[in-house]
Amino acid sequence: MVPFYRLERYDGNAALFDMVLMSIVSTYAGEPLHIHAEGLRGTGKTTIMRAAKDILPNITRIKGCIYNCDPENPHCPEHRNMTKEEIMRIGTEEIPMPFLEISHSAKVGTVAGSIDLSQLTDRLHPEARLLPGLIPQAHRGIIFVDEINRLADTSPEITDILLDVMGNKPGHIQIEEAGLPVVDITVNVSVWAASNPDEEPGPLEEIRRQLSDRFDMVCYMGRPNSVDILANILRENSHCGKLNKSFRKTDPEYDRQQNDKYRQNIIKWAQTYMQTDLPDFLRNFIARLYIKHNLESIRAIEAMQQGAVLHSIIKGRNTPIVNDVTYMIPLVLKHRIDGDALVRLMNEVDARGVRDGILNFKGRKKKQSEEVDVDYFKQTGRPLKDMTRSELINTEKSLTPSDF
Amino acid sequence: MGDNAHVDKAVSVGNYLNLYLGQNQGVRLGESVVVSRKAHSRMPEKKIKGQIKILTNRDAGKTYLDFVEENQVVHIDVYHKPGDVYAEDVARGIYQAVYKYFLERDPQLKYAEDELYKMVAVYYHKIYIVTNQGKGLLYDLLQDKVSPVVAGEEGYDHVHILARLNCDEYYLVYVIAEAVEEVILASEVKLARVRNIVHGLQKQKEDSFAGYIKLPWKRFKGQKAASLPEKENVNQLIVKLAEKFGGVEEIEEFMESYSTNIFKRKGIDQQKKKWGDVEHYIEQLEELGILKDTPAGKILTRKGQELKEYIINHKCELETEIRRSIRKMPAGGSGRFNKLGSCDFKSHRIEYINRNKTVNNPQNWTGDLAVPESIVQAKKNSFFRGDSDFTIRKEDLHYYKKRTYVPVNVCILLDSSGSMAGEKRQAACYLAQHLLLSGKEKVAVVTFQERSSRVVVPFTRKESELKKGLATINPAGLTPMAHGIMKALELIKESRIKNPLLVLITDGVPNVPLWTLDAKADTLRAASFIAKEDIRLVCIGVASNRSFLEKVAEKGEGILYFVDDLNRDNLINIVRHEKKEMLKGRQMA
Repeated sequence: MVPFYRLERYDGNAALFDMVLMSIVSTYAGEPLHIHAEGLRGTGKTTIMRAAKDILPNITRIKGCIYNCDPENPHCPEHRNMTKEEIMRIGTEEIPMPFLEISHSAKVGTVAGSIDLSQLTDRLHPEARLLPGLIPQAHRGIIFVDEINRLADTSPEITDILLDVMGNKPGHIQIEEAGLPVVDITVNVSVWAASNPDEEPGPLEEIRRQLSDRFDMVCYMGRPNSVDILANILRENSHCGKLNKSFRKTDPEYDRQQNDKYRQNIIKWAQTYMQTDLPDFLRNFIARLYIKHNLESIRAIEAMQQGAVLHSIIKGRNTPIVNDVTYMIPLVLKHRIDGDALVRLMNEVDARGVRDGILNFKGRKKKQSEEVDVDYFKQTGRPLKDMTRSELINTEKSLTPSDF
Repeated sequence: MGDNAHVDKAVSVGNYLNLYLGQNQGVRLGESVVVSRKAHSRMPEKKIKGQIKILTNRDAGKTYLDFVEENQVVHIDVYHKPGDVYAEDVARGIYQAVYKYFLERDPQLKYAEDELYKMVAVYYHKIYIVTNQGKGLLYDLLQDKVSPVVAGEEGYDHVHILARLNCDEYYLVYVIAEAVEEVILASEVKLARVRNIVHGLQKQKEDSFAGYIKLPWKRFKGQKAASLPEKENVNQLIVKLAEKFGGVEEIEEFMESYSTNIFKRKGIDQQKKKWGDVEHYIEQLEELGILKDTPAGKILTRKGQELKEYIINHKCELETEIRRSIRKMPAGGSGRFNKLGSCDFKSHRIEYINRNKTVNNPQNWTGDLAVPESIVQAKKNSFFRGDSDFTIRKEDLHYYKKRTYVPVNVCILLDSSGSMAGEKRQAACYLAQHLLLSGKEKVAVVTFQERSSRVVVPFTRKESELKKGLATINPAGLTPMAHGIMKALELIKESRIKNPLLVLITDGVPNVPLWTLDAKADTLRAASFIAKEDIRLVCIGVASNRSFLEKVAEKGEGILYFVDDLNRDNLINIVRHEKKEMLKGRQMA
């Protein structure tokens, strides 16, 4: 697999690279950010998302805790009632941030949790215990769902679980198993998804509108349209590089170093993120957008706020500016409102020159004059009574002065 | 009566009005009155003030009074300078003037007051008045029943009169206009001189995308073109155009009509036949700087060429976007149609096994046993049961869940006689594409026109095949409905598809017979064949042909929907509603 740093970046996928980094930073800091890449088949949605697995930073958890309990803030049924000392005694360990995938053969049991069969069939001490599924195990990490539109169509049960997990930040999941008490735990998981809206059964927002709205951001992938970029992609993926080590330009050690650089950056960014807030005037701006354009989902503007801060940070700044917000608009709204409304909204935000001030939502000059224009008619007319018969009827032709 | 100048003037004005209104024109009567059968508007966008635009695409009766038929109403606007004019005064003025006029025309009526009174009373409910101080029917206003007017409403800045007059009553327009002027002057308000009248189309606000779409090359104040989000804008423009024209290829074809290659250019009439009213779009594109006027007609500008180039280079993505917008369900749900009749229908369902889902302890012990799940369940249960050995009991068994699904294959039987040209044709094509893209079933299209019918698209799931077929639909000629029905029946029988839904879309009645000399009887006979097969029939027509279509639906044991307009949303809503009904039918069966 081509490492993350060597993936070709071009106009059509730049937003996805940003989104992936933003989501990792946010997840690492403790706030999930759900992202969804939509695009034509073979445009590299899945490749980019899977490649990001190698740049994920490490997290610290209570030793051996399958729920990835944060030692500072344990949440799993086993550790949540323990004191600090008890946890200290168990010890902690570093693991890479989880990155798990929900496949299409997944069942509710594997995703949410089920009875632990190995414990149950233990010869010496058979015991009924819960085995957490993929989602609880991905706590503080990422869950990746490929072809999410198909999953939403064929497995409504799993979709319902995702709705719960993504509904709030942090989300929660309920694990039910006959014979065992119901377990409800919080999960902080960022869901990443990819889909092709053009393939069966169609775009996610038509199949399960709620699930589509749960995604904070959607990136519509574009195709690369430069020959150089395509040639580079081909070279990266050529069979020689894969089969014959001597053809490789870089050694794995170098790749690891590059990935480490990302990792360190992510940790640094996450620390900045925890201390950065959106300035009040931008928050106001976002709120006004919501009111003015009748947006429906408050998730949209929450995502806009979160995204603007993250974007400013991954671009190396520590205060968000207006551009960060406007950059978010298409990503956050494209799947939530129709194309017309989006273009209208974007252009309106954009049309304001520097002088008008972007925060000025008052209508432009033109609008007000339309209603009552008292001197629309300048001249007074003569009454019909005083006219001769030949003056009575006038057509457009006879009224239009002509030069001939 | 030769010396009666007043009557004479009115009659001659009546004759002129007959001529001009008949040509869908409006006139300025005197200096302050504008008369037409259309809606009027000011033209604030023009620098020269005092002009009135006559909106030739907006019938006055339809616009103000929700009439169905056009040309029922004469619209008289008397413009005045700012000042209060009371509707009751206007009503009294009109009443007296009409009364006086009849008396003048026929002095004998003096001795038959009842008769005269009756003649005037005819117009009590036919004249509707709006002034800036009130509005109402002539009858109500004479009894001082006035409804209030709000600022900005029609008639706020002029006296606005709608009169339901026949052609031979147009002389009254003069009488009314003169009376209104007198009332205005008596209220010490000056008349306003209408400088000019202009005929034009009203731009539909929701459709005028030129106002908000920004192309990279369109200059906006204080903006650098480079910083504009061009892709979104261009794509949205293309989606808009595709909604109108059908697809990327059609947009190209449309743009070719304005290329410099004269062999590829298509006349406006030809375009209209295919796509309906294109003028609005041409205007919009001109505003966006994509088309421009030259002495040799409209041509694409350099920017237009660039756009065309862009379309060709980005076909893939654009087509995806377009398909995405076709898949979208129309908003608003059902409502704009009437449904008549109902029918029972047994549908064939397809059962398949969902390997992802199992049911424990089902009521029905048939189906596939899910072995791993059963063993796991048994293991769990035997633990809880406290069995010393592993046992499997009946309650442990898991079965794979069955799912049923009713495929509804739609055959669209489309009337492509001359009257279906333009928007109706486009709507039906859109319906076919929407059904194909949003469902899992096959779609077919059969058309009938001239003296025969043909299968345009056989039952298919391929989008390219559908599009290719749809492009060949070119409405013209007569309505051989019987031919169409027989052809569709033949196609459905040959293809042996499950749960066929035959959707007949027409805006007329048959006028070409198949077996006998009676076109309608033949159609009914053909429809009776549908009833014999296991085919669900849905007729979609316009209200004016209701009685005949009712018979067709009855003979074919189908359902009739009639709509006020055969537009895209109506068609999609009806067919979706019907498909849902067929799924319900499964439960009954």
